[in-house]
Amino acid sequence: MSREALLVRTLVELADNLVEEFDVIDVLTVLSDRCVEVLDVDSAGVMLAAPGGELQVVASSSAAMRGLELFELQANEGPCVDCFVTGDPIVNLELNADDDRWPRFASRAVADGFHSVHALPMHLRGTTVGALNMFRTSLGSLHSDDVLVAQALADVATIAIIQHQASVGAAVLNTQLSEALNSRIIIEQAKGKVSEASGLDMERSFQRIRNHARNHNLRLTELARGIAEGTTSIIGLDPLPRTQPVRSISSNPWPGLGAPPD
Amino acid sequence: MTAILRRLASHDADGSGTLRLCELAAELTAVSGASIILLSDELAQGSLCTTDGVAVYLDDLQFTLGEGPSIDAHVAGRPVLEPDLAAPFDARWPALTPTAVGAGIRAMFAFPLRVGTVRLGALTLFRDTPGELTDAQHADALAMATVSTRTILTMQADAPPGSVAGELEERSNFHFVVHQAAGMVSVQLGIGVTESLVRLRSHAFLTDVPIDEVARDIVDRRLRLDGKGLD
Repeated sequence: MSREALLVRTLVELADNLVEEFDVIDVLTVLSDRCVEVLDVDSAGVMLAAPGGELQVVASSSAAMRGLELFELQANEGPCVDCFVTGDPIVNLELNADDDRWPRFASRAVADGFHSVHALPMHLRGTTVGALNMFRTSLGSLHSDDVLVAQALADVATIAIIQHQASVGAAVLNTQLSEALNSRIIIEQAKGKVSEASGLDMERSFQRIRNHARNHNLRLTELARGIAEGTTSIIGLDPLPRTQPVRSISSNPWPGLGAPPD
Repeated sequence: MTAILRRLASHDADGSGTLRLCELAAELTAVSGASIILLSDELAQGSLCTTDGVAVYLDDLQFTLGEGPSIDAHVAGRPVLEPDLAAPFDARWPALTPTAVGAGIRAMFAFPLRVGTVRLGALTLFRDTPGELTDAQHADALAMATVSTRTILTMQADAPPGSVAGELEERSNFHFVVHQAAGMVSVQLGIGVTESLVRLRSHAFLTDVPIDEVARDIVDRRLRLDGKGLD
């Protein structure tokens, strides 16, 4: 598979990973594995902030990577920690055993055979939710295209995760949306039936339905459903109180309130 | 392509109107136009946005006929692609295909709007020339469907209980007049509302009049489907 094809497949895989058995760790494992396959890096891993805000190692492309990432968290120093705290990418940082930025992390990483590191933030709406780490065993720079690709993969994975977290909410919202639309549709159908049966226009037909629902303490949608489905008789609906022509004197003692209360 | 996805991801966070979704989808995939249809079960409820008159025509056709790529994509939960409507690989949509070709449409591509098992409808792209989408365009369309789904749900999240978000209704056509007309036809013909909808749809298709116009004529008492005289 060409690099471009693999990249397309990865993006689709990450973005489309919204199935019932969706698993955040699976998505991030795909992300770190694909980084190693597609980009010029030897190991990759993802850290995410837990609800309490502390970073956790979620996925790693190798056991060595996982061990190093856990060490980074324990020592509370290293590219991933810095990237998460600042929200800025760290690219092409060469490691020396006597590094004074991250003394403990650097000596451990070099001992593990890693010589350059990159960490890219996982952003969502201005908040950093985690970081993608990529380590190389050799020195030398990562191509700028590779950095762009890695950031795009991280962005898509972030969206997928957030979307999953919102998917329970999505189900509720979708139900609300379709119920609201269905209610509107049923009300329009009931208006049409009342209009045809009683010769009122649509506006007055709606008023008649609403008026009857109020008088009898019925939910508008339920009454409309009964009318639309034919289980509620239109003749049985309370007649509308007479409209009041501007210059005539009303015979309705309850203007605007519908029929008199029982 | 990665740059486009990034642009989409950041653009989406701004919360844009539904029309922008259709326009962006059409622009990114270099097609003639696009629409977003909301569906419930196998029924098209209406369009959230349409880029142009042709998009409206195609959406109406699917609403009227109850068949087409958008409905299939929604039901199957996967993209439904027809790169050459005039010479389709397998003959789907017997009524829609010749009508759409007659209107100059040569290719249609529908992508389901879904989050996990939640399905909202479909993003549909169409072109006046035949040919497949490139891999990059296909990936962009998938990304656009994902972004559209999220945008729609985010907009609906702000709606008062029991109602459709105002932002979603702005550019939409949920064919409410058709349902009013179905209610009237139901009384006129002494049949159920569902059957009335079928009658309305077939009348619109056979007379080649947009279904909303047929419905408007019925509501305004200029047309009856039972052939009886009008007042």
